[in-house]
Amino acid sequence: MTVNRRKKPASVNPMKIGQSLGAVLALQGCYRAMPLIHGSQGCSAFPKALLTRHFREPIAVQTSALQEMDVIFDANRNLEEALNLVLSKHRPDIIGIIGTELTDVAGVDYQNMLKTYKRERNMRGGLAFSVVLPDFRGSLESGFSSTVEAMIDEMIQQVGHRGSRSVNTRQITLLPGSFLTPADVMELKEIISSFGFEVIALPDISTSLSGHLLTGFSPLTRGGVPLDSMLQSLQSGLTIAIGGSMERPARRLHNALGTPYKVFEGAMGLKASDELLHFLHQISGEPVPLRYCWQRENLLDSMLDAHFQFAGMSALTALEPDHLYSVSGWLEELGVEQKALISSFETPLIAGMEREVWVGDLDDAEVLGKGADLWISNSHGIAGAQRIEAAFMPAGFPVWNELGAYMSVSVGYRGAMEWSNKAGNLLMQREAGHRESSVRHR
Amino acid sequence: MKYSILSEGDEEPMDPVRKNEFDSEACGSIAPKAKPCPRPKPGEAAGGCSFDGAQITLLPIMDAAHLVHGPIACAGNSWESRGTLSSGPSLSQYGFATDLTDSDIIFGGEKKLKDSIDYIAERFAPPAIFVYSTCVTALIGEDMDAVCRAAAERIGIPVIPVNSPGFVGSKNLGNRLAGDALLQYVIGTGEPEPMSPLGVNLIGEYNIAGEMWDIEKLMNSAGITVTSRITGDARYKEITYAHRAKVNMVVCSRALLGLAKEMESRYSIPYFEGSFYGAKETTYSLRQMAFLMNDREMERRVDRLTEREEARLSQDLRPYRKLLKGKRAVLYTGGVKSWSVISALKELGVQVVGVGTNKSTEDDVRRIADRVGDDTEYIPEGGASRIIKTVRERKADIMIAGGRNMYVAMKEQIPFIDINQERHKAYAGYEGLLRLAKELTYSLANPIWKLAASPAPWDKEAPPYDR
Repeated sequence: MTVNRRKKPASVNPMKIGQSLGAVLALQGCYRAMPLIHGSQGCSAFPKALLTRHFREPIAVQTSALQEMDVIFDANRNLEEALNLVLSKHRPDIIGIIGTELTDVAGVDYQNMLKTYKRERNMRGGLAFSVVLPDFRGSLESGFSSTVEAMIDEMIQQVGHRGSRSVNTRQITLLPGSFLTPADVMELKEIISSFGFEVIALPDISTSLSGHLLTGFSPLTRGGVPLDSMLQSLQSGLTIAIGGSMERPARRLHNALGTPYKVFEGAMGLKASDELLHFLHQISGEPVPLRYCWQRENLLDSMLDAHFQFAGMSALTALEPDHLYSVSGWLEELGVEQKALISSFETPLIAGMEREVWVGDLDDAEVLGKGADLWISNSHGIAGAQRIEAAFMPAGFPVWNELGAYMSVSVGYRGAMEWSNKAGNLLMQREAGHRESSVRHR
Repeated sequence: MKYSILSEGDEEPMDPVRKNEFDSEACGSIAPKAKPCPRPKPGEAAGGCSFDGAQITLLPIMDAAHLVHGPIACAGNSWESRGTLSSGPSLSQYGFATDLTDSDIIFGGEKKLKDSIDYIAERFAPPAIFVYSTCVTALIGEDMDAVCRAAAERIGIPVIPVNSPGFVGSKNLGNRLAGDALLQYVIGTGEPEPMSPLGVNLIGEYNIAGEMWDIEKLMNSAGITVTSRITGDARYKEITYAHRAKVNMVVCSRALLGLAKEMESRYSIPYFEGSFYGAKETTYSLRQMAFLMNDREMERRVDRLTEREEARLSQDLRPYRKLLKGKRAVLYTGGVKSWSVISALKELGVQVVGVGTNKSTEDDVRRIADRVGDDTEYIPEGGASRIIKTVRERKADIMIAGGRNMYVAMKEQIPFIDINQERHKAYAGYEGLLRLAKELTYSLANPIWKLAASPAPWDKEAPPYDR
């Protein structure tokens, strides 16, 4: 089907999130990492504040703190200063330098600068890479996947071409998309490893942003996949990518090392979970663990219970492309009418969807979704949902009106069940509210 | 009615930012004694940019539209992130952006800006549109002032350019630049209703968590009216006649002291710096208002009110004071709160053993020194690790800081109170002090601190292989 856009000059109530935030998120999933945003102070302050608000965790990020004159004369002097300071003070294992629209428009060549810097400092043992992520292209999702790709590129540069590769067929590299919560990544790791595989998630926010009580403050990331595991992942026998946006990093591994890959575009609902488990069953030769057989029945039963709630209901979904695709597949299974699907930007996955998709903002969601019973979007959608009197279900990024949103599971049978119950409950409460207001008091 | 955004005889648009001129002023006073805003340190910088600061100051004009001219993230990453509340209109809570793309950057975004302004004016009919520049639009040399001027004439409502791109400096500089935009384009362009009583402008009060409402209630019960709120829960129109007020109260000096000084010289409105954190400061501020209004009757009313309120408060506070006495706190916040919250805490019997001074003016630091003892540590800069260190070394019981440091404190299992713009609790006025006392007590007494510090039962036992 086609991808549409409503014609209007200004963006009203944007759902797009800067690409650089996606990069910062990706780097949170690596142990002892420091994302360094090459831009003005706000370019790091906003993502930091927003990520902190969503995950309720401290977020590691630094900036080259560009000011007007730095941009005009020599922006890289700031970057060098920042690198010196971060390296000498915190000794990170991984540094990701994230170019912004500011450095992009000013034409700052920090890639070359980084190369020289690494050569001069004789930087070994760590991983330092750069990625260009101006905000006038893409959104959180593309920033995230580009960063993972850049990371993989750098790893391949460092190790891949050197020496021979001893493929470990019992080891799988998992590339989780940006829309997955820490609990989602954990669930995926569990599912895959329950078939007897070693799993290395790249990046792995399930051990860094899921909440832990490690004490001792560090400005670097705490938790996440350590560098040696990251490098170890190059020996994996297979790559599993979750979300269409993660295909490119997976292909990178395939092209450079010949690692075969499998992309799961949808990650939610019965069919998507069936597909994943069936695939794992086939490649491992192991039976599907009893726990998942149980969960499958639980899911089907809860969908039966809930179908009265969903009958005749309509939903509007406004999310990042991969997430939108995934949620739409789940809604399809519930038999909910899909009033409008709104994506933050266009990707091949979205363009190839069977349903009509709109690229736009939350104002478009309000207009196109008028009359919908359920509104699924990030927390920015609360006001719009109120205006069109839809039940509001927070999803995606950022979510700040709910505790523990970052730990909710959406993948696997368990995830689908959790979401179905949650959406059903919201609709039930809404119905009760309506009934109450229609009772006439004498 | 034809509306000109420029006051009479003032045909100059807002000057572009000149760095030298502002660097020395950025810290808040027109003629600073020393200490210009330091250059942020690459690799160790913290805090927002000027664009952020400008929005913090102007977004509480609730009925206006606020349009960000730049790529999407400047608006997309920042809208709905501030705790300022509205009692009515909500247009300022909409996120508007010109959402520039590659080709706009190459061919210029002025046409898009013009179309966006027209679109917003037609669809939402706001009383005014504020247009914010961003790093990219400043860098490619968009003539925002000209576009805004032409738009104002075309659509007949004020369109105000705010030249505060992120890379000119700190958040505080942005506050100031926003104040300059108000001076140049808004204040003095309207007149109040003929018979309406005039009173005090509250400058630098952003109605975080509804604090403005508590303050206003107090002022009203003493018979003092608020003329313009600059800009907590403000309406555009009331700021246009701010020049008719009799007194300016600067609530946050760091941000908008310059605005008050300029209004004094332009319109001869006396100003004073005050705060509403703590009973003492609140009483002082109310008295100062009445005094500067030059109204004996009002002064008497204020005296009666403050006596009554203070008496009631001290009654209400009694149980909390008992619990809070001797507790030690580290306070890390900016500007006016650095010293005024110290007063509030002192009234509760809480000792401030460490205080941040990184965002304070010379005057603020002097005021801090007036309020704390010699054994209080000043934390000039240095982010989370420095604060944690002070908490540990000074054996503080609680940390009071902004939301950005909240989860750092949680990781260290230090009780925490959020004092900055994202918070949901109002701490101003007498009511606010009581609320602060309650929050401190709840936070300190929460069972989680004990639970989190206790290991799992199997970790308590000696491991079997050790025997």
